[in-house]
Amino acid sequence: MRRYFFEFLTVLLMGGSIVFFVECIRYLSQREYVAAIILMFIGLAVISVGREMARLALVQKE
Amino acid sequence: MEASGADRVLDRWRTFADAVALSLGLNLWVQLVLLPGLVAGALGAGPGQLAAVLPLLVLGAGVWQRSELILLLAYPGILLVPVGLAPEMANVHVYGPVRFAIVAVALVGYLFGASLFTSFREPPPPRSQRPLASASRPVPPRWRRRFRLYAALTALSIVFPLVLLYTINFDGEVRELLAVQYPGRVAGLTTVMNLGAVAFWVLLYAWFFLGVLRPHRTGDRDLVGDLDRLRREARRGRPRLQFYLGVAVALALMIALLLMRH
Repeated sequence: MRRYFFEFLTVLLMGGSIVFFVECIRYLSQREYVAAIILMFIGLAVISVGREMARLALVQKE
Repeated sequence: MEASGADRVLDRWRTFADAVALSLGLNLWVQLVLLPGLVAGALGAGPGQLAAVLPLLVLGAGVWQRSELILLLAYPGILLVPVGLAPEMANVHVYGPVRFAIVAVALVGYLFGASLFTSFREPPPPRSQRPLASASRPVPPRWRRRFRLYAALTALSIVFPLVLLYTINFDGEVRELLAVQYPGRVAGLTTVMNLGAVAFWVLLYAWFFLGVLRPHRTGDRDLVGDLDRLRREARRGRPRLQFYLGVAVALALMIALLLMRH
């Protein structure tokens, strides 16, 4: 059960991070540079958490 | 006799692969240079026509030489020369979403086809093979789980650049905002944002997608030392510092953004 949870979280977090990158582009087009940079770092933080979940899913014994 | 028969088969496969690489390369040239050039009227002048023909010469040289350097690097690169001479060929109005998708599929198809073609330079398979005892056993759950994750990461690695490029080039709200905020510089800014998105995606892919898979890469002797270190690291069943750092940074920045907005 735990491994499925990790796999689900991996896809959710890594896939979900793209929302922040898309919003980053929207803010860039509005000349909201600070907000765009913050959103980019939020996206990077979320995708890094997703990567960690993927690592944990891969090292699960069973 | 057997060896010559195997050589003939290999030659036929190589010829087939040559034809596939040539067809896919021509298709890419038509999609990326010829049709946009005709639509934008950029192929009328002498330099424009010369630049449009140049990729065909490079493609022919690549197929003739069976050179992966020419086919996978020089040819895709030289395709940008006519577009660079006449930037209107890459105009958003020339590339609607459907046409953009078709060109993207043509590019990926060509790269896959050319990569396959280069693999035929490897030595022929051995005359006899003996399957390992473990090959007859069912795939263990651990590997099935890995394959599931590999498939998910592959799908995400396709979705990411598509969504980013679509948002920049075809999202109505973004296009309107760009036209309002950057009058007269929309085309240039779109190009910069496209390049930025591609560069950003390459970095993301290297850090986050390949990063997860790196401990599972095998077969390269130069990587053995790195693999040992990464294997030790991968055995840890608890999240690393990056996990807690990522959660903290994401939450802190979200709160900061909310406070700024409201």
